[in-house]
Amino acid sequence: MTKILASTLVLLLISSLQGFSQKKAEEWRYEGPRVGIDLSRFLTPYMQKGKRNGWELQADVPYKGNWFPTVEMGMQWFDDQHDGFRYKNNGTYARLGVDMNIVKFESMKDHDFAFIGARYGYSLFNQSTDGIGYSNYWGTITTSIPGRTMHAHWAELVFGMKGEIFSNFFLGWTFRAKFPLSVSNDQIMKPYIIPGIGKTTTDVPFDFSFGVYYRFPIFRTKKLPKPIKVGGTTHPAEKDQNNQNYQGSSGTGGRSSGGY
Amino acid sequence: MRFYLFLISLLSFALVSCSDGNGCYESVDTVMVTSFSVDSFKYIKTLVIKGIDRNDVGDTIVIDQDSTLTKRYSLPLSLSADSTGFVINANGKKDTLYIRHSMVISFISENCGFAPDYLISGLRYTSGIDSVKISDKKVNPHSIEKTTNDQNISIYFSSAAH
Repeated sequence: MTKILASTLVLLLISSLQGFSQKKAEEWRYEGPRVGIDLSRFLTPYMQKGKRNGWELQADVPYKGNWFPTVEMGMQWFDDQHDGFRYKNNGTYARLGVDMNIVKFESMKDHDFAFIGARYGYSLFNQSTDGIGYSNYWGTITTSIPGRTMHAHWAELVFGMKGEIFSNFFLGWTFRAKFPLSVSNDQIMKPYIIPGIGKTTTDVPFDFSFGVYYRFPIFRTKKLPKPIKVGGTTHPAEKDQNNQNYQGSSGTGGRSSGGY
Repeated sequence: MRFYLFLISLLSFALVSCSDGNGCYESVDTVMVTSFSVDSFKYIKTLVIKGIDRNDVGDTIVIDQDSTLTKRYSLPLSLSADSTGFVINANGKKDTLYIRHSMVISFISENCGFAPDYLISGLRYTSGIDSVKISDKKVNPHSIEKTTNDQNISIYFSSAAH
């Protein structure tokens, strides 16, 4: 009887120690608003025609783990000298939208994600053209178009990735398809570049940008965000596997579970 | 994942940074497409068209022989005045035609620049011309793309005079 009591006490002690060690091993997942700057805006002056300068700031905040409401704003200056005219365009723009994570976070410390998202964009800009020249049999005409303030509204579908390269520092890229909704009507000259949209020579302009971001780790949680189910049913075995991963473990479930 | 992040970033940026073309593949010549005819039995043996600039006859715009009904000629319009005058010498008989118009300079594209758009508002001509039919008031860089039997104006000479 004494032996039974002693062995029971030993077992209880071991189990309580195990519980204590598990509590110590629990990890916090840090999240918070992320702000960054679009680095590609500083490279485009060297890679595309015309003098252009600009900057863009971006920020997002995690919401329920996989959603990232996003705001982006910037300015752009464009000065394009051609043989027959000189076009100037400058303005400010802002975009509001949300990104949705489409991959599974593999551990509490994994913050790398790929996303799809949507944006609404608005641009307020001024365009002017001078040195317009045209010649025919009757001679040459030289004229200019005075500056005019214009507006543009557009929608975007985005796809991209952000990865944590150092603690709280992220590098990311975004591919954007832009759908102009309305642009101020100018019968003489439709703007061929719009701050925030870029060149409007195609119906759906595409854009690519990359930037660096810093996350302010002001929130912490013990829950690993569940991957968003896009459709279909979950196999019971997969459900069990996922449940195990959300206990705060190191997330050894791996990439085998699908259905994001 | 970080490796792929960098790799795709570089590849995508390389693709997107490809510069767009510099060529202009649209017409920037704004001309009034014009046809001439006398009647179905007579054809124009000689046709010479000159511009009238401040009441002086300018250089030759068109010189042609054996013109047919389907032949069309491109006449430039004035850039500074609100009317353009032509001296038309058909089969040795001179006539004068004035075209009244308004003009705005309009943007074609980044690579092509600007070209004038005209709107014909009226005509005045001498007695050797029987009638002038305006088929399309708008004269713009696309006018030159008009197909056969399509023109901005058709000039019908008086059969008796020619």
